[in-house]
Formats: sequence, structure tokens, C-alpha cells
Amino acid sequence: MGRRATPAAAGVFILAAVLLAGCAAPQVSALVARPPADLPAAAEIASVPFFPQEDYQCGPASLAAVLQHAGGDATPASLVPQVYVPARKGSLQAEMLAATRRHGLVAYQLAPRLEALLREIAGGTPVLVLQNLALDWAPQWHYAVAIGYDLPQRSLVLRSGVTRRLAMSLDTFEHTWARSGHWAMLALPPERLPQTAAELPYLAAVAALERVAPAAARRGYEAALGRWPDSLTAEIGLGNASYALRDLAGAAAAYLRATLRHPGSADAWNNLAQTLIELGSRDAALAAARRAVALGGPRLRTYRETLEHILQQP
Amino acid sequence: MTGRIRRIVASFLILCLGAMSAPVPALAGIVGTDAVVAGVERERLAALLDRSDVQTRLQGLGVDPALARARVAALTDEEAAQLAAQIDALPAGGVDALGVALIVFLVLLFTDIMGYTKIFPFTRSMR
Repeated sequence: MGRRATPAAAGVFILAAVLLAGCAAPQVSALVARPPADLPAAAEIASVPFFPQEDYQCGPASLAAVLQHAGGDATPASLVPQVYVPARKGSLQAEMLAATRRHGLVAYQLAPRLEALLREIAGGTPVLVLQNLALDWAPQWHYAVAIGYDLPQRSLVLRSGVTRRLAMSLDTFEHTWARSGHWAMLALPPERLPQTAAELPYLAAVAALERVAPAAARRGYEAALGRWPDSLTAEIGLGNASYALRDLAGAAAAYLRATLRHPGSADAWNNLAQTLIELGSRDAALAAARRAVALGGPRLRTYRETLEHILQQP
Repeated sequence: MTGRIRRIVASFLILCLGAMSAPVPALAGIVGTDAVVAGVERERLAALLDRSDVQTRLQGLGVDPALARARVAALTDEEAAQLAAQIDALPAGGVDALGVALIVFLVLLFTDIMGYTKIFPFTRSMR
């Protein structure tokens, strides 16, 4: 509906908004006023490849740049069949994440904060961003890759469209980025965690990778356990990825560690039971399954089925 | 028309998720990591989700059927549900500045110069 507003009315509104708000952007102003001591004042990752965009295909071009930088084997041409939607003349965010996972890389969506974006660049990871270059009522959605910044200069460097090194005012960038809900993603090899990774969002990203690439996900869970040694989800994920790869001994070891550290986790006991019965350890499997059922919880039905299945075994 | 009805049905189903209390059967055996991460809601979502619907919609937007299947398979349940419900409304990044109409051009020229937008390569913001 907003898109159908008459252009004249919208123009007046924008004019008023611009005059009221000026052009300094809130996150930039806060960062420049109080720059975090551990954030470098400027950084640029010159090694990020550049693919000049062809018609409407900033999605494949930007994605190819970050995938190649992460060691993936992708070109804009190879990504068009994976992300481009002809009738929409563009690429959807969900498919940008999904195509990253199809290359065995973790697709991590950043927190919607400029500081997180700059920290990732400073840490050597280019950031794929979605911008609305125009206005909410006449959107021009555009993917680009942020590769550098200079806080004192208030500028951001992007691989964008047909421009290899586009230096944009950081304030302008924030305005265009805010209109996409500050959407930004990283593509990373699973053994390398994002600088700004938070435990649950990161594990959700690895779990999504597990669907299509369990071997890569297993390395992701191992890396996550390196940073968050007490993470129950990472331990269960490590077990699940091993199970998916039919490494039952590895899976059982991970579930066992999970039950030792988190004895109240019925999921861990259940998965341990299922793995042990497949390994032929009926007594141990039975004990674990009973523990899961006794603990209960929202997935009690699954635990009961596991227990019944074990009881049916000779 | 059917697309619209489908969209309404999908939106309705997503709204229903929060209200549902009946347990939905999960796969026996292993509890998946996505379920551990997302909790109970995820299993309800997975049970309601029809991925072939997303595939049909991608095909309707010009994606080759063989490609559409692999593309949908790489989506998480949340992503697939989101596409099923609003694939026509979600942003699709693929800007073409030449397509902007004249009135928009004038407004954008002004906002570009003010540093509020960045649509034209030839503008330099005042900041």
C-alpha cells in the first residue's frame, strides 16, 4: 500500500523527513562519537574478488565474491541458477543464505548493527549487504559487498554493481541499509567463526548447514565447542552430524559428553539411546532411553518411540 | 487467483502455529539439531510445511523445475515457510536504476545529494 502513495505526497513527506532528520545516520554518529577502543579506525580487504554485475544480477555477483573469498567454488554464472528469480528480476535473501550452504559454507546473518559489520571487516571477512538504494515507497533492492571502512572519513568501501571500489558515505550507507532492516550476511568456512558470532544464532546457522552438508556442519560444531565448551546444542549437533555421516561411534561419544555435562537434557539421552541400539549395546541403550522418558519434555513422544523401539530389539 | 488463495492459506497456517497445542509427531529416533535450537515451534512448522508449494511458486516465477527442487531443499523450514507466505512481497535484490520513473528521479536526485539515498552513480552527497 505504501508503494501506491502518490509520488508528490511522498516527495513532500520525504523532503520534510530529510529536513528534520538531516543526513547524519544514528549508528554512524554513535560510533564516531564513541569509537570502541578495540575497533580499528580503518580497514579494507583488498583481496575480495569483484564481478561486475550484469542486468539485475547483483545477487549472484555479490554472492560469488564472498563465496570465493571464503574458499568456495562459485562464479556469478554458476550462481544464477541457484538464486536468481526471473519474474522478480532479483534474488531473495533466503536463497542467498541457502546457496551459501550448498557450497559447504556457513551462512551467518549478522546482528543489525553497524558496529558488527565493521568488526567483521576488520577481522578480514567481507560482508554481503542488502540495501534499498531508493525509498520505502519505490524500493530499489541491491546486494553489494562491504569490504572496507574509514571511521574518521565516515566512509564505507563496497564492491557494488559495476564499480569495483565504491567509496560511499557511511551515513548514506546506513540510510540505504536501514531500509532493508539492516540485513547482512557472512559466508565462512565452518572452522572459522564470525568475530561477532552469538552462540544460538551461530548454531542455528550450522544446523541449517547440516541439512545439506553434514561433514561441513560437523566441523562447524567442533569450532563452536572451541568457543563455547559448555554448549549443549553444539554437542548434540556434533553428535547429529556424525550420526548423519554414519559415524555412530563419534555420535555416541558426543551424546555421551552431552549427557555428562548436561544430565537434564532428555534430547541428549534420547539420541544416545538411539545410537547405542544401532551399535548393538541394548542394555546401555535401554537405560539411556528410560532416562529420556523420565525427564520428559515437549518431545516426550519421540523418546517413548525410541524406548519402544529398543524394547522390541532382542 | 489461486496464488492469492494459497498465500492467504499459508499466512493463516503460520498464524495458527502459536495457537496450536496438540503435539505433532516428530521423526522417531534422533532429535534433530534444528529442533534443539528452535524448540517445539520448529517441529510444528515442519509438520505443516509443504515444500512442494514453495517449489511450485518458484517455478511460477520462472525458475526451471529441476533447479527449483534443489533450491527448496537447501532452505530451512523457517525460510521455506516465509517464501511460501510472501514470495511476491519479499525484497528481491537486483537493482536497475534506469527503470526509475522521472518523478522518482527528481526526488531521488535531491535525496541522493542530501546523502539520504544513493541511487545515481554521478551524485556526491553533501556529507
